Amino acid sequence: MPQLDASFFKPFVEGTLKTLKVQCKTDAFHESPFFKGTKPEPAFAIAGVIDIASVTFTGRISLCFPEPVFLGMMERMLEESFPEITLELQDGVAELLNMIFGQAKVTLNEQGHTIQKAIPTVVRDDTLNTQIGKIVVLPFKTDLGVFHIEIRSDS
Amino acid sequence: MFSPDTQVLVVDDMMTMRKLVTKTCKGLGFSKITDAADGALAWAAIQQADPPIGLIISDWNMPNTSGLDLLKRVRADSRFGKIPFIMVTAEAEQYQIMEAVKSGVSNYVIKPFTADVLKEKLEDVHKKITAA
Repeated sequence: MPQLDASFFKPFVEGTLKTLKVQCKTDAFHESPFFKGTKPEPAFAIAGVIDIASVTFTGRISLCFPEPVFLGMMERMLEESFPEITLELQDGVAELLNMIFGQAKVTLNEQGHTIQKAIPTVVRDDTLNTQIGKIVVLPFKTDLGVFHIEIRSDS
Repeated sequence: MFSPDTQVLVVDDMMTMRKLVTKTCKGLGFSKITDAADGALAWAAIQQADPPIGLIISDWNMPNTSGLDLLKRVRADSRFGKIPFIMVTAEAEQYQIMEAVKSGVSNYVIKPFTADVLKEKLEDVHKKITAA
């Protein structure tokens, strides 16, 4: 089993806590990471996805929310309520990931990862990560419910 | 501070961010705000605007024409070269900030951000303009 590389995923945890605190006025608390497939699959309705190809890391970062958690985050961010995830609203998950990634990238590049800019996309179905074994799940708790980040390493 | 009648152009490929920046600007007193989903659309809006755009708040990382490309285009055109241009972006690395400064950005806001941060940057830009 591959080792959990804390120095790689810690910047994503820190970026997540700060982004949600500042932009969504939400305190998030991170829980123990685990490899996908070793615990029950965390549910999600929407995910922001960034594919990364650098000298040291090739893979995918996904920010995954169940619907009520995402709607709650958007309500706090935009100060209006939303009954469902619409096409207009869904890019909010990509923007939150963009902010998290932007912060994590600073720390990771200081560590020598040479990660470049990337534009996030949105996934709404269950085809996010079908491969099992090299995907680290970073779970978070908030007063709105739980959500998670998946870090898939292809390198 | 800028006049509430200043024509503000918000540029971001993400609808939620355009909405967030627009709401923040309204909260700061601006009433005339338009938006564009990328740098190319923003450039067209700048050329057609009547009354003219008085403040541009743009994301960096967008498909087609990026915020940096838009900034360079605006600064290279004598008709629009002095429009205050604020970059609101998740790109937080020092070399990127320096690249934007070299290209003539008026100020730089790193996402995530609060209304207070945007207000502070706008006040700073306004002070520089009035002092010039």
